[in-house]
Amino acid sequence: MNSAEESENLVTENLASARVRIYDRAGKKVEQPQWIVREKPVTLYLNGKEVVTLLCAGHHLDELAAGFLYAEGFLRSPEDILGMETDNEEGTVKVSARADDTITERLWQKRTISSGCAKGSLFYYSLDALLSKPVKSDVRIAPGQILDRLEDLNRLSEAYRRTHGVHNTALADADRIILFRDDIGRHNAVDMIVGHVFLHGIPLADKMLITTGRLTSELLIKAAKVNLPILISRNTATSLAIELAVSLGVTLIGFARAGKFTVYSGQERIDAGIPG
Amino acid sequence: MPVYLDNAATSFPKPKAVVEAVRHVLEGVGASPGRGSHKHAAEAMAIIADCRQKAAAIIGVSDPERVVFTKNATEGINVVLKGWLRPGDRVLYSAMEHNSVVRPLWRLASQGVNIEMIPCSPSGVLDLGTLSRELRAETRLVVLVHVSNVNGALMPLEEVAQLCSRAQTPLFVDAAQSAGLQPIEAEQLGIGMLACSGHKALLGPAGIGILYVRPDLDVPPLIEGGTGSRSEELEQPEFCPDRYESGTPNLPGVAGLREGIAYIMETGMNRIRNHEIGLAHHIESELRRIPGVRVFEPETRGSGTVSFVVEKMNPADTGSILDQAFDIAVRTGLHCAPLAHRTLGTFPEGTVRVSPGFASDIENIEYFINGLRWIVARRG
Repeated sequence: MNSAEESENLVTENLASARVRIYDRAGKKVEQPQWIVREKPVTLYLNGKEVVTLLCAGHHLDELAAGFLYAEGFLRSPEDILGMETDNEEGTVKVSARADDTITERLWQKRTISSGCAKGSLFYYSLDALLSKPVKSDVRIAPGQILDRLEDLNRLSEAYRRTHGVHNTALADADRIILFRDDIGRHNAVDMIVGHVFLHGIPLADKMLITTGRLTSELLIKAAKVNLPILISRNTATSLAIELAVSLGVTLIGFARAGKFTVYSGQERIDAGIPG
Repeated sequence: MPVYLDNAATSFPKPKAVVEAVRHVLEGVGASPGRGSHKHAAEAMAIIADCRQKAAAIIGVSDPERVVFTKNATEGINVVLKGWLRPGDRVLYSAMEHNSVVRPLWRLASQGVNIEMIPCSPSGVLDLGTLSRELRAETRLVVLVHVSNVNGALMPLEEVAQLCSRAQTPLFVDAAQSAGLQPIEAEQLGIGMLACSGHKALLGPAGIGILYVRPDLDVPPLIEGGTGSRSEELEQPEFCPDRYESGTPNLPGVAGLREGIAYIMETGMNRIRNHEIGLAHHIESELRRIPGVRVFEPETRGSGTVSFVVEKMNPADTGSILDQAFDIAVRTGLHCAPLAHRTLGTFPEGTVRVSPGFASDIENIEYFINGLRWIVARRG
């Protein structure tokens, strides 16, 4: 099987077909098959305990589980994973790990408490406050490279072209896309990428993440947890995302489309080549 | 295990006798002192008189009548500042003061009082040279916190008192953190006024405080009303303590405070202070060994209060995690003392404040240090 066939199989495996009826204003109906994206619940278990159920497209479950558990603080290094069983039919991922999950569990999804007696925290979850650190990176990217990688992402997006039902996310350096993932949830697609780089020990200080989703605080916090310096979207950023980007030293770029982009923070990493 | 390290805010747990005294008042006394001649009122009066005596003794005042009960240190501070200072007056205050001093002063400044801050060193010690130069004849008042509520720094009270006596300027001491821990000889030092709360190192319940005003200083009261004395007169009595004690007093608070002070006297103030300061030194030496932790140590320590930060982490987050993951109670932020944090260089996020009490032990401290080590390790 050549790579084009492999790619086609991967796309069709993750899609389903439905017989649909398309109406126009006059009530004229056309019946035809249409590609639709799969959605399935996948439950993550850590050391026998249920952690969370994610609604996702159902592929790359090992990466999704590893990325989720790492970003949430349950795993610290790939060596912590002692075993992982994924069951696509059942919709389960069972991870056994060497993890200090008791204390992490106590903090899991606990809101930070602010006394109002000082400049408070930007974080709303304690685990995020614990695990997010300012990003360290000297990487510089030219505007043309940013726009080129965005075009690359659009070209890779076969499932999106067929269904308009997924978010696309890619990890790239200045010259090429290194990894591409899509999912019905923008967080899942990012978690898959985080999981992949976590499992394979890929350093991120010279990379950028390109997504079709909105740039929200959760995405910023994830970037700060993995030392990812540049986030790009064809979409907009939220207020808290911008505050966090400034505080965590992340270059935040939105509305990257039609040959332009908007920089919300971290413009020092944009190597425009034009003085001033 | 739950560990309480927030004694600089409110001491906890209280001695059993304090709890019993409050309960006894509510269950067995239940009367208003000075508002009746029945046995209940008489017992209430006796409780108040005995507490007043003990309170006077613990701050070095010979005449208990000069010691009045307030609801807390803040009320006493407001009585003095708003009663004593008039537009055009000049007042000096330290760069380590609490908002209980700073906010009333700010209000008074808007009404024409000249307020001038005396700087402190980066560890929180008053600059005596500047104070000495600034203490001129027209200075109406010097306000000084005895022990910092942020890092436990002990101010040079004796030296300041001497300077003030020489300049014939009354010294007003905020003893919220020191009363019950540091020996205070208010009369001997010639202190003009002193305010403190009863719920911190004096081990009483919240809602009770002490104010001392030197007999020669005519400070009008903040509120007037019924005192149970000279009721035929429409003017507020001029004598102490009635001048400042209008309305039904907080008898459960006074009864609890009496037992708190009694506990300190029986146990020994030195023993309590040495225990708390000993724990603070242990905390500081352990914190110094954790990379990425900065401790704000005072030159001279007056209480067990320790302030620190984990670098690049908001103190509020550190405090939240200590509470949620380890059940350790600390206080974070500015501790109502933004000036002190500007002095220490920790404004605007503040610090994490750990304040052991007499009930804290070395095991509590080890547990706290291990919790903090976990946090620092997880940040990597």
